[in-house]
Amino acid sequence: MIRTVTIFATAIAVLSLTGLMLGDQQIAVPQIAAAVFKPDESDAVTLMIVREFRLPRIVLAAIVGAALAVAGSVSQTVMRNPLAEPGLLGINSGAALAALLVIVFFERSDPALVSFSAFAGALGMAALIYVLSWRSGASSIRIILIGIGLSSMAGAASSFISLFGDLTTVQSAQTWLAGSVWNANWDKVHVLAVWLLPAFIMVLLAHRELDLMSFDDMSASGLGMRVQAARAAMVLLCSLISAAAVAAAGLIGFVGLIAPHIARRLTGHRHCRVLPAAALVGASLLLGADLVGRTVIAPAQLPAGLMIVLIGAPFFAFLLWKRRNARI
Amino acid sequence: MAGLVVLASAVVLTALWAMVVGTSDIGLPDVYRALFEFDGSRDHIVVTTVRLPRILAAILAGASLAVAGALMQAVTNNPLASPGLLGVNAGAAFAVVLALVFLDDLPARGYVWVAFAGAGVAGGLVYAIGSIGFGGATPLKLALAGAVFSAFVSAMTTSILIFDATTIDSIRLWSVGSLANRPMSNVLGVLPYIVTGLAAALLFSRQITTMSLGADVARTVGQNLALWRIVSGAIVALLAGSAVAMAGPIGFVGLVIPHMARMLAGSDYRRVIPVSALGGALLVLLGDNLLRAVFPERTIPVGITMAVLGAPFFVYLARNRLRGNN
Repeated sequence: MIRTVTIFATAIAVLSLTGLMLGDQQIAVPQIAAAVFKPDESDAVTLMIVREFRLPRIVLAAIVGAALAVAGSVSQTVMRNPLAEPGLLGINSGAALAALLVIVFFERSDPALVSFSAFAGALGMAALIYVLSWRSGASSIRIILIGIGLSSMAGAASSFISLFGDLTTVQSAQTWLAGSVWNANWDKVHVLAVWLLPAFIMVLLAHRELDLMSFDDMSASGLGMRVQAARAAMVLLCSLISAAAVAAAGLIGFVGLIAPHIARRLTGHRHCRVLPAAALVGASLLLGADLVGRTVIAPAQLPAGLMIVLIGAPFFAFLLWKRRNARI
Repeated sequence: MAGLVVLASAVVLTALWAMVVGTSDIGLPDVYRALFEFDGSRDHIVVTTVRLPRILAAILAGASLAVAGALMQAVTNNPLASPGLLGVNAGAAFAVVLALVFLDDLPARGYVWVAFAGAGVAGGLVYAIGSIGFGGATPLKLALAGAVFSAFVSAMTTSILIFDATTIDSIRLWSVGSLANRPMSNVLGVLPYIVTGLAAALLFSRQITTMSLGADVARTVGQNLALWRIVSGAIVALLAGSAVAMAGPIGFVGLVIPHMARMLAGSDYRRVIPVSALGGALLVLLGDNLLRAVFPERTIPVGITMAVLGAPFFVYLARNRLRGNN
């Protein structure tokens, strides 16, 4: 555990520092240190690049990555399926649909409002998936399949809405939907932090319940847990976290799939360890993806969401192969 | 038989209605004259170069995707199999985009072959990934593998298109599945392939019925399973590839229509395939033109309409029709 935390914390530090250095304007380490710690002594341009562009972007990427990873761990446990993640289940596309509605029809894009509507969308989607898959209890197979169906429906609805919007609004909304942290600013970071902190704490406090839930329903209820209620509460928390991440950075898939797996490989199955480890892994994944995406073909930028899919989809095939002897 | 006649006349009637829907006001007599006594007036040009190709494209795309879906459901024995869900459409579309960007001097006819290859490779890959492990190709694993493959391919497409802004603009509508502005040459170019595919599906419908009974039964009655799986796979690639090359990836037709066809016509594919072909043509034609009639000033790609109509049906299937998983 300590080794894992050290490794990934170092990775985050190195990636952040590299992220601060690289870009159209290369900045050396001493100047970065000056801009961050002694703002009075550095020149205005460096100050602006470091403090207004690169730093919020890095912080946002790290927080979003951590949020997606935690949401993924929770949903993999709740669905008891290692392939379930909020992106595949349609929770993210529900959030995106609601946020797009607000952006296109009310022409408002302040972070707080978008976050709220994304949360409403994610929650609505989660509730809908849950209700539709309920037939004397919600089986995880039905939840996943219905999630895939509703997700493509929400995707189609999003494209439909974007046909009715003003062209420039729609274009900016679509850049956001593609999953990218390019237009990060401190406002977004603040809103995201305020949303996520209570949710993270609640998930961490529920780590014992999550441990129980990862057995089957019978064992969990035999040990005195109200399984359906606990599952509903966890789905709620999971939507809250995903919604905040989607509102800040659009649709970024697969972090919620990959990070929990790496975390479990390194720290075992107890959630009091898996959750923090997954958060660190997720943060370094998204930081790395964003860094590569914006430097490898500069001056053009590949959105971080794309980079993650390019890594994540083969990883999914690998997971299926690894688990070829297990029942899904 | 009576059902086939009803469906066929519904397709014809819808096609006639689609001829008169649109921003310019053209009556049926004018449509008739445009088709048989063409005089080069504006209305006649609208009918022959805008509306007729669009209607033909809708019929061909609908029929081929629905039959491809029926074949996939029969071969995989899986109620959720369809060209859209299993990534066959996405693979064909990706192959076409690759060819557009990297093969500059490919003749227009070549794109159809590229799409066949893409459809075949994608279908095979998703099926292979989805059948890894316990229980073979379960609906759940196939659907997940298809969703992940589609996400991967569309990410690749977007990354490639970031370098090539001109291609983005020309394929933006096509890439979500659209029938608007197809030139007649384009439609006639894929016509022979689609006709071949449909004819082959009809010709082999007896063997397809045998396969739909499951691998055990098929082996017991002496069917060469490997051979017929490959034949059906080739037909699916031919049909789905042509439809995608013409109209872009249109989802859910291939999922919804075969189920409806089996509800109407039973489980014998000698009847299911023709009913699917007509039903698919009718659904795409209706979906495309209803929106054109309601929002005349907007171009709403038919792919979006189909997803909005089809996704609830998918949810219904997942809820009620998956034996053994509930």
